[in-house]
Amino acid sequence: MRSRKISFSIIACVFFVFPMILLLLQSVSSPWRFQSEDGFTWQWTSYQKLLQDPMLWEATLTSIVIGYAVLVINFIIGLFTGKALVSSPYKGKAWVEAILLSPILLPVLAIAMGLHLLMIRIGLADTLIGVILLHLVPTVPYSIKIFYNGYNQTGPAMMEQSNILGAGFWTQIFTVELPLLRPAIRSLTFLTIVISLSQYAITAIIGGGRILTLPLVFFPYMENANTSLMAAFSIWFAVIPVTMYIVIELLILLLPYSRLPWRNHR
Amino acid sequence: MNQTTLEIKNMTKNYKSETVLNELSFQLQQGEILSIVGPSGSGKTTLLRVLAGLEEPTNGSIFMYGEEITKQKANKRDISLVFQQPLLFPHMTVMENIVYGAKISKKYKKEKTDALLTAIGMGKYQDHFPSEISGGQQQRTALARAMATEPEVILFDEPFSSLDPSLRQDLRYWVRNFLVKQKTTAIFVTHDMEEAMIMGDKIAVFTEGQFQQIGKAKTLQESPANLLVASFMGGNLILSEEEYISLQEITLSPPTDRKADRIYEATLLHVTYQHARPIAHLHIHSLDEKVSLPLQHEDELQENVTIYIPDSEVRRFHEEGR
Repeated sequence: MRSRKISFSIIACVFFVFPMILLLLQSVSSPWRFQSEDGFTWQWTSYQKLLQDPMLWEATLTSIVIGYAVLVINFIIGLFTGKALVSSPYKGKAWVEAILLSPILLPVLAIAMGLHLLMIRIGLADTLIGVILLHLVPTVPYSIKIFYNGYNQTGPAMMEQSNILGAGFWTQIFTVELPLLRPAIRSLTFLTIVISLSQYAITAIIGGGRILTLPLVFFPYMENANTSLMAAFSIWFAVIPVTMYIVIELLILLLPYSRLPWRNHR
Repeated sequence: MNQTTLEIKNMTKNYKSETVLNELSFQLQQGEILSIVGPSGSGKTTLLRVLAGLEEPTNGSIFMYGEEITKQKANKRDISLVFQQPLLFPHMTVMENIVYGAKISKKYKKEKTDALLTAIGMGKYQDHFPSEISGGQQQRTALARAMATEPEVILFDEPFSSLDPSLRQDLRYWVRNFLVKQKTTAIFVTHDMEEAMIMGDKIAVFTEGQFQQIGKAKTLQESPANLLVASFMGGNLILSEEEYISLQEITLSPPTDRKADRIYEATLLHVTYQHARPIAHLHIHSLDEKVSLPLQHEDELQENVTIYIPDSEVRRFHEEGR
């Protein structure tokens, strides 16, 4: 047990903590090269430069709006589809599940190019809604799968039990299903936000350059030789999803029967 | 006179071509407890699920106090169902589980819930989560949760089957007393005849989608309506589709006081002990029936035995008793 803990700590340090510290140090120091014999020079200019970029703020805000919108839509679609798949006793469930998951198998870029024509026709090209709708393509199959598994684990009997005790549809969802689906909601949040935030090509195609998200601003920065600036941007890029996740985690705490510190009697 | 709480008329439930409930009709008076016994897979659980509103009947109607509730949703019916498994909500404490339904149905009163918690002996564990208590404690909590909603009818689907025998015995009496005290109408489904006799005022033998007979335990034992009831009740040897004899009347040696009109050859399969008496398990070749007979003396045991049946004790099934 102890050796496991030690190996976990070593792996975590080598692959996670150490690179993060390096990134953090690089962001607050002048560009530094191995064996360059230059000393370590503290500086904040990379952050100053980054935060002065007006595009950064616009892109951050747009990314957050798109990320949350994609998350909410995924949550609704995933929750109800997952529930329907578990509670309806019909044949061919495996087929329906496979069809719902199939968009993952198609390259998103191909779908985006195809949908672009449709978006132009219906006036959704170069709009925020268009981009949000397209970000659903690589995320919805996962959210359905996550909630389907979540409901499967809870089991239909647990839902019937709350129904028998008098709970209506929404009471049941809020008092029993969502609290029990907390791990699924967490996975969905992580996955959706990360996928949505990292879409470059499809955002560029459908957004037409007018919808500016963080990856669209981030990639041009990569041509920059200033590694300190790059490190600062990377830190910024990492802080956004983490903050978004914390907000969702706080919202999850508001669900009924959450073990808030002041609710624990024992 | 007691009021009719629940009335079922011509209820049928089909799953594709299979008929699980076949034109079922019965009534329950207020405060009456009916035990339903039947072999596994006979449709007992389906009957409870239809009554609770979890499944729709293919045909037929359900009335509660004269009002039709066939189309009413499960959460709107004043009927509670205790499942075979406790199904406690894992994210709620024992207390939260118990008050859950009571709060939703707006019947929550702290004194009543506290009394219920004390009655099930879970006062000390009220802040524990289901994963922190034993199986028996979980089932007791589930029973209290169903009772806290104060339903007109409680349905029990083999709620003690997952418990150990001593705990099962205690809980049977506790639930029975509680139901009687509260004058709650109840249906108790089980495949254990002894449990059915303890729990119910009346017993219904349910097989092939129908009640084969409904009555007191004594009636069912002494005058079974047909061979299905007789074989399920046990204690009888089925001689033909019309005839049976109580095992008490069968002897392993020629009776001295009367004439044995029928003689059958049997093979001794096994000997077990029950209530400190040896029981011989026999296979009667010509009837292809297995019977268990209490022995007077262990020296009666031989591999091949002859059993003696007096004609005067052979009875015919009472179909009118259905």
